[in-house]
Amino acid sequence: MIGGKIAFASGMLLALAGGWIAFPRILYRTRPQPVDFSHKIHAEKAGAKCEDCHAFRDDGTYAGIPTLDRCTSCHAAAMGATAEEKSFIDNYVTPNREPQWLSYARQPENVYFSHVAHVKLGKVKCERCHGNEGGSANLRPFQVDPISGYSRDIWGRPVNRIALRNEGGMKMDDCVDCHRRQGLEYSCLGCHK
Amino acid sequence: MTTTRRNLFKFVGGGAMGALLTPAPWRLITDTALWSENWPGIPRPARGEITTRFTHCTLCPAGCAVRARCVAGQPVSLTGVNPHPISRGALCPWGIAGHQLPYHPARVRQGPMREAIAAIERAIRKRSAGERVAVLDLRPGRTVSWTYRRAMAALDGGLYVTPPQSAYAIDLAAAKTVVSFGAPLFDGWGTPGNVFAARTNFRLIQVEPVESRSAALADIWLPIRPGTEAVIALALAGEIAVAEAARVTGVDEKTLGAAKEAMAGGPVLALAADPASPLMNWNAKLGALGHTVVARRESPVPDTWKKAAPATQMAAATDGTIRVLLIDESLPGGYIPWSEIAPKLAPDAVVVAFTSSSEGYARHAQCALPTAVYPETAEDVGPAIDTVAAVFRISTPLIAAVVPVVNPGQFVSRIAGLPPSDALRERADVIHKAGSGMLIGYADGKSTPVKAVTADDFWKTLNQGGCWMDSTGKQTLPGKLEFTASAEPAQDELPLTVVATEPRRGGLESTLLSKLERESNLRLSADRVALSPVDARAGGIENGARCVFETARGRLSVAAMIDAAVPVGVVEVAGGPRVADLCGANGRARVVRA
Amino acid sequence: MTAHKRYGMSIDIDKCNGCGACMMACAVENNIPPVPESANDRKGITWIRVYKTDNHRAYPDRRTAFVPVLCQQCGHDTPCVHVCPQQAVDVDPETGIVGQMPERCLGCRYCMVACPYHARYFNWWDPVWPAGMEKTLNPNVAPRMRGVVEKCNFCHGRWHAAQQKAAAAGIREIDAADYIPACVEACPTGALRFGDLNDPSTEVARDAALPESFRLLEKIGTQPKIYYRSRRDWVREIASAPRPDGKDQHRG
Repeated sequence: MIGGKIAFASGMLLALAGGWIAFPRILYRTRPQPVDFSHKIHAEKAGAKCEDCHAFRDDGTYAGIPTLDRCTSCHAAAMGATAEEKSFIDNYVTPNREPQWLSYARQPENVYFSHVAHVKLGKVKCERCHGNEGGSANLRPFQVDPISGYSRDIWGRPVNRIALRNEGGMKMDDCVDCHRRQGLEYSCLGCHK
Repeated sequence: MTTTRRNLFKFVGGGAMGALLTPAPWRLITDTALWSENWPGIPRPARGEITTRFTHCTLCPAGCAVRARCVAGQPVSLTGVNPHPISRGALCPWGIAGHQLPYHPARVRQGPMREAIAAIERAIRKRSAGERVAVLDLRPGRTVSWTYRRAMAALDGGLYVTPPQSAYAIDLAAAKTVVSFGAPLFDGWGTPGNVFAARTNFRLIQVEPVESRSAALADIWLPIRPGTEAVIALALAGEIAVAEAARVTGVDEKTLGAAKEAMAGGPVLALAADPASPLMNWNAKLGALGHTVVARRESPVPDTWKKAAPATQMAAATDGTIRVLLIDESLPGGYIPWSEIAPKLAPDAVVVAFTSSSEGYARHAQCALPTAVYPETAEDVGPAIDTVAAVFRISTPLIAAVVPVVNPGQFVSRIAGLPPSDALRERADVIHKAGSGMLIGYADGKSTPVKAVTADDFWKTLNQGGCWMDSTGKQTLPGKLEFTASAEPAQDELPLTVVATEPRRGGLESTLLSKLERESNLRLSADRVALSPVDARAGGIENGARCVFETARGRLSVAAMIDAAVPVGVVEVAGGPRVADLCGANGRARVVRA
Repeated sequence: MTAHKRYGMSIDIDKCNGCGACMMACAVENNIPPVPESANDRKGITWIRVYKTDNHRAYPDRRTAFVPVLCQQCGHDTPCVHVCPQQAVDVDPETGIVGQMPERCLGCRYCMVACPYHARYFNWWDPVWPAGMEKTLNPNVAPRMRGVVEKCNFCHGRWHAAQQKAAAAGIREIDAADYIPACVEACPTGALRFGDLNDPSTEVARDAALPESFRLLEKIGTQPKIYYRSRRDWVREIASAPRPDGKDQHRG
């Protein structure tokens, strides 16, 4: 009889360990970004601000991750001496190929998120949702959940979402939390399309 | 602990319970649901910068101005250009979904180009005396039409053929009463925006056996027996008694009387479904010439082009003399039934169709060479029937052709030995040099006199959203309207008269049009016919039943819909090349259950 | 958002020629897929559908009218909102628009039964576009998967775009000229009009107040926001609409 309890308990312990420790590790795959871009160098040496590359257009739409023409406006030829820049010019600038950047914050198709409403009307800072990307010397590793296809940033780092640090995820609950605090609740189609 | 089966089950049970207490199964359920929403095959709209581009629609001679909303360069929706003085911001259902045509699954995607050139050149060299080379231009009035005419003039024995054309234009704004003999005024005639802008200015008397959309919106509908249009004309002109006309046409006297009265107040205009119908001659008696029926104005062409073959009709060609026939079906346009073309062909004739649709002449030609499809096309749109001013408007390509295509103008030009040239640019330069008229820009809606812009700016605006219009100068009378009826023997043994009501132009149509046909029964599709309940009952035909539509020339498999708006003795069809081949101009048919 | 709006439409049946431009524009704007060849008018997806109706008399006294029917945006006791077990549809208090969220829908189709206007459509199949045609999809509207119900949302994608444009200028209130649904924009005869019914200066509000205006199935009390009008008595009879001269026998 005690053997049965041990069997049960050991099965349970194994499952708990697997679910809490192993599962989060094996769930995500890491994919490299096409170019190891350094925000820090561009912010300091080039004096660029966020809006120089991540700009709003006249109709209020957001350019998001800039296209190649933004880079080539300065990098038509090598500006520094790093191997990374040379490889960028050889692989992307010269053949005029768009780098396939992996977007950390890519939301599902049915989500309508307006950057301009949050930045211009809501006065929300970039770092509030995206973290201090601007000060980073390298791009964070892109971790994706291969089953759903969404990046780890969306769900948040902790798999159980209980110990989420402040503003750690980008799921609907995270948006709703902040909107409720601000007293700005809309109908569903206000944020869905 | 012993490893018994019971312990194994307990181990598994503990594992299952433990698993439920971890995030793993809940996360996997969520992920699987998300995966099923995004699995391969679910289309994703493209992202990118949204830009606006302008062009002109080439799906019919109206050539409505188009504003295209493009995402990363790809048009995703089309609307009209509101300040445009002719099209007034209107597009028809076909034009609205035009941007999907390049990806149409039934598009002609390849053709034997080299073999076709070889066969044509061989036939031209080897032809006997009296054998002709002909170009059939189904959408005359374009700049490329001039290229064909010049090519046929340069080639010995060249012939330039078009469907019967009208050399007049209709000034709808000047009409107070319009008598339309089956012309689909409110459903495909002229330029929709122009027609509806003028709607409140005129009364419409629609003379038609079936209650078409135009008849439904007309002020007076005269429901005639098919074929009695001429009697109505005589009655409205006062040349026969209303009672006599009522007896022959089946329209009651009171309605005829009301129509006659309606004509009394102001300029009258007569229109017919076929612009070259003898009914149009009646306009001379109505005093419409010079007022509502005016000469068609054409924009200037270079003098060197004037050495061009004249436009002729298929009927005028001698039987059995056409050795090479090149059919330009690249834009949806008129259709000449094959039975009128076949006798004109010599034995061993080489027939090549330039087309993107397999429903038209591709069925009859020896080979079909794929052409660009709107909005890949780069050519000008000729004037519409209700374009009173001289116009020059270019349809700029919004995307590159997605399949390898042939440019028919260049093809014919090369065969005839004409030097390569940019005909559109040459013509634009000549128009600019003539110095008359206004340049209308679509982005800002501004009108600038042509004299005030340089030739380069003129060309640039025409290509990026603009048109040239010249309404100066007194409007002249058109040439004599003396159309004659084409002789067509009546097929008395076939019980039903064919009436085509849908503005079908042949060519590709967006797959979304199924929403107007199959998915809503709003319009008659090309594979359906409509019968009156009486005729359907007589034939034992139920609504939607598969039937055979049979004429003296052949048969077609169709679905029959029962519609009480169709009079007894009439079968309503959607039109299009297949039906045109079967019925010709005055068709009679039989519909039997399949 | 400032004052509450009540977006509605006015439709002139006497002007509608049944061309179907509104149906095509709606399908293009909202990424509505073509259905398989085997489908008929019961399974098609036509968020706005123009019905052909007539005065039920025999030829040649038969007269036809075309009536575009879309979601009537019921303002009171909205039937679909009441019955949805998933709360996949809600009424936006700011705009009055009845918004359908296909992403929440579980496909029970109770709302399709509840809708008195047959204005809701079910995705029997996953959307399939011919090869290459998916490039022409509108990025402002998400495609739906099979198994969910969808309907007209008064072109919410365009409302979003109007809001973005206003936000770019730092304004919260949209410019009315920036928000026109695709069907209204496409109508070549001018039969469709759109606007804020709460704003008495709009054409729509004035049309709604005309004596010849009526709403479909008014007697069931859903307070739809689509106002139809016609001067032809037989059209009003078919729509069970009261006569404009007040001598109506149709109130139930």
